[in-house]
Amino acid sequence: MMKKLTDSLWNFLQTKVKPHFTKGGKFENLFYLYEAIETFLFLPPEVTHDKPGTHVRDGMNLKRLMIHVVFALIPAMLFGIWNIGHQHYIALGEYVGLSEGLMDKFLVGLKVFLPILIVVMAVGGTIEVLFSVIRKHPVTEGFLVTGPLIALIVPPTIPLWMVAVATAFAVTFGKEIFGGTGMNIVNTALLARAFLFFAYPAHMSGDQVWIYLGEAADRVVDGFSGATPLAVAAEGGYQALKTFSYQSYGFWDMFFGWIPGSIGETSTLAILLGAALLLHTGVADWRIMAGMLLGGIFTAFLFNMFPANEYMALPWYYHLVMGGFAFGLVFMATDPVTSASTFTGKWIYGFIIGVVALIIRVLNPAYPEGVMLAILLGNVTAPLIDHLVIKSYISRRERQVSAIVPSPKTQEPVKESSHA
Amino acid sequence: MLEMINIAIKTIFIENMVFAFFLGMCSYLAISKNFNAAFGLGLAVIVVELVTIPLNWFLKTYFLEPGALAWLHPSFSAVDLSFLTFLVFIATIASSVQLVEMVVERFFPALYTALGIFLPLITVNCAILGGSLFMDERDYSFGESVFFALGAGIGWFLAIVLFAAVRQKVRYSNVVKPLRGLGLAFIITALLGIAFMGFAGIKL
Repeated sequence: MMKKLTDSLWNFLQTKVKPHFTKGGKFENLFYLYEAIETFLFLPPEVTHDKPGTHVRDGMNLKRLMIHVVFALIPAMLFGIWNIGHQHYIALGEYVGLSEGLMDKFLVGLKVFLPILIVVMAVGGTIEVLFSVIRKHPVTEGFLVTGPLIALIVPPTIPLWMVAVATAFAVTFGKEIFGGTGMNIVNTALLARAFLFFAYPAHMSGDQVWIYLGEAADRVVDGFSGATPLAVAAEGGYQALKTFSYQSYGFWDMFFGWIPGSIGETSTLAILLGAALLLHTGVADWRIMAGMLLGGIFTAFLFNMFPANEYMALPWYYHLVMGGFAFGLVFMATDPVTSASTFTGKWIYGFIIGVVALIIRVLNPAYPEGVMLAILLGNVTAPLIDHLVIKSYISRRERQVSAIVPSPKTQEPVKESSHA
Repeated sequence: MLEMINIAIKTIFIENMVFAFFLGMCSYLAISKNFNAAFGLGLAVIVVELVTIPLNWFLKTYFLEPGALAWLHPSFSAVDLSFLTFLVFIATIASSVQLVEMVVERFFPALYTALGIFLPLITVNCAILGGSLFMDERDYSFGESVFFALGAGIGWFLAIVLFAAVRQKVRYSNVVKPLRGLGLAFIITALLGIAFMGFAGIKL
């Protein structure tokens, strides 16, 4: 049944639709729009043949790689939707228990999250298609990943027009002018968030933005505060988290994620599920994750050793479940385009991000969270790291070769032709 | 001592000459196409900063400041030569750049050719004069001005090296035609600036 359906769809596309879009057809300028749909629905018809030589025979093209990330985002997304509703009802003092009002919470969450997602996808998708039609390059599913990512890293109360402006800015200046997917130097989703953060700080930080209240803003229970764990910890460290008046911010609360925060970044558990998929399919590199984890733990541990204030004394493992650390670690830092591409480079790149994230988070009073900016910094350092790693690799090989083949002219670089 | 190291770190990351003050942009944009040339120019800027800022500190403290000439004769204590600050600073910078140029030409001929006109043009690199003027304006002590010079130089070096590596990578990108070259360079600089904004606000 399914096979018949897909076959007839394929035939329909090939015979009835495609001719209009190929050369000489009515919509020949829009070919890449058609091609985007075809390759989204079907694997490419061309396969590498069994000729001598090594070929990768695998259906994993760019689109399928991207769709893996979208699947990996689903746990965080579902949890985020529920959590919007959960925080909403906690603020009103209703359905305080975790299992109460599941459907109501989901509905509130959907009401908030869907418009954001739709706006992001519509704005970003339009720009992407415009660019690819005018510049005649294929539409890739890059935005299918970037879109949900943007929607997941904004606070639930963000005005939709801001999301639209930020998306337009990030897609245009962060990606499309460089030539589209695979050619950008900074993570597009993070650029959108950085744009929002610096252009409209009042809507991106503080105690008011993390909980969607809607029309119920006047029914908030007394003594409720929407401060995120990061803000609370910055005030008074471990003790403040323990004794935070209304909700408790314990380690496990933050691990499971029923805390205020950006939509998709609160639940470390949901993110770990996504991470498992990404690691299993090899889409994300474990070296980057390990490097960033090590960098974060190392820095937090140093702060623990020499605490100058309450925040620095916060146990190191708390930092891993607070704020955007886990989300950035799994979905942002591992972006294969903007991260370092050598193996050694990936360790260094991840480590730098971890260190800088913690430094900004703890030492910079201007920003409560540093993961976003740390990854952006990592993105722009990645080319340098790669360059240096490759250079050191080349010189090491040169030394090896010249040790085996004693060259009379030691000053000249040894040619590759030797057997080493 | 810790304070001085703080000044150096602050000048490298938080108040980076390029990303926070946008100083020295001309050679930053022009020389960054080739990584090795950018590396060399960055090193040259470190050297020039390290020579000129302490030197200018001496000139400022013992000649230019109001009353600085008192060490010659008590009757000079009313003399104020600070209107000469710009002239003297520029002269110091020009002569030290000349020295650096001679050294580079003698010992690194390849780098000398790669840098071309931009080596003598370090003279008019705003980051260099800016460094001396910041030293003047912020009333650094001698030790502070040395560490400030080190920080300013390393900060500029870091900026141009990062930028050159990014431009090397972008060479393979299918950049929109009207923006190829300088247009994209400006946009990349802005992106780097955003990335460095994470440090803005850290108090050392």
